[in-house]
Amino acid sequence: MKCFLCALEKKDTDAVAICIVCGMGVCMDHLVREEVDVWEGGYPFPAKKLKRKLPRILCKPCYSVYHEG
Amino acid sequence: MSLMKRSLAELVGTFLLVYFGAGSAAITLMIARGTSPPNPFNIGIGALGGLGDWFAIGMAFAIAIAASIYALGRISGAHLNPAVTIALWATRRFPAADVGPYIAAQLVGAALASFLFAACVGMDAVNVGGLGATAPFPGISYAQAILAEAIGTFLLMLTIMGVAVDERAPPGWAGLIIGLTVGGIITTTGNIAGASLNPARTFGPYLGDYILGQNSLWQFFPIYIVGPIAGALIAAFVYDYLSRD
Repeated sequence: MKCFLCALEKKDTDAVAICIVCGMGVCMDHLVREEVDVWEGGYPFPAKKLKRKLPRILCKPCYSVYHEG
Repeated sequence: MSLMKRSLAELVGTFLLVYFGAGSAAITLMIARGTSPPNPFNIGIGALGGLGDWFAIGMAFAIAIAASIYALGRISGAHLNPAVTIALWATRRFPAADVGPYIAAQLVGAALASFLFAACVGMDAVNVGGLGATAPFPGISYAQAILAEAIGTFLLMLTIMGVAVDERAPPGWAGLIIGLTVGGIITTTGNIAGASLNPARTFGPYLGDYILGQNSLWQFFPIYIVGPIAGALIAAFVYDYLSRD
């Protein structure tokens, strides 16, 4: 699979990941990898943040929508 | 989350329950002041709207409890009730070291609510409304009151077990269903012994009435310790037995 965003720029780059939101293939330059907190439990017990975080990869357009609205 | 923050969340949640819930009972008595209740079993709650008075009080509790559970449930668990805390501890779901601080916070929150309610409304809230304190109604014996509180809290705790503690329960419904359950119990059995279901909910108004109005109801307090704790314990163990393969 090729990077969709590079293809729009007339470049031919192999994709290294898939955006979990829109599903496009993206290269290292066009992805954002975040580690998201994972919480367990809740009423009637206090919710606990797990030690390990969940990795999440988004393409840059989806990332900007999530964080800028 | 630190124990201090969780205890503070319990304090705030129990404050909201007593301020709005017990406060609604006090306001109902103040509104009914001057009316002539039709019989001795009617002390004023019911003088204006019959069972509708109790429904209104039940809904005030229901909304305050639902709001507290949705707002604070992830922080402390929003027990808001020493009987619930003790039942969760007895069934090995809650650490023993946290039981004391949780109960202390619930009692302080309830007491603060009663004093601040009196501060907002004035001394009529104490002298007429009794700060919404619970006590056996005329003709109800001590033992009957304990039994009514135990049965009411049994239903409350059984609901908590089924709707919230059980991992198979559908998510998101606990606050609404548990709030409405308390509202329903108050509507149907409030005129027996007040349907406190909660030692902290009775403690706050008792302390406020005692300090602000020199009116001691402490002789009835064991009803609201023994009944709710017994009902909650029985419900938790019965649910565990019923849900085990």
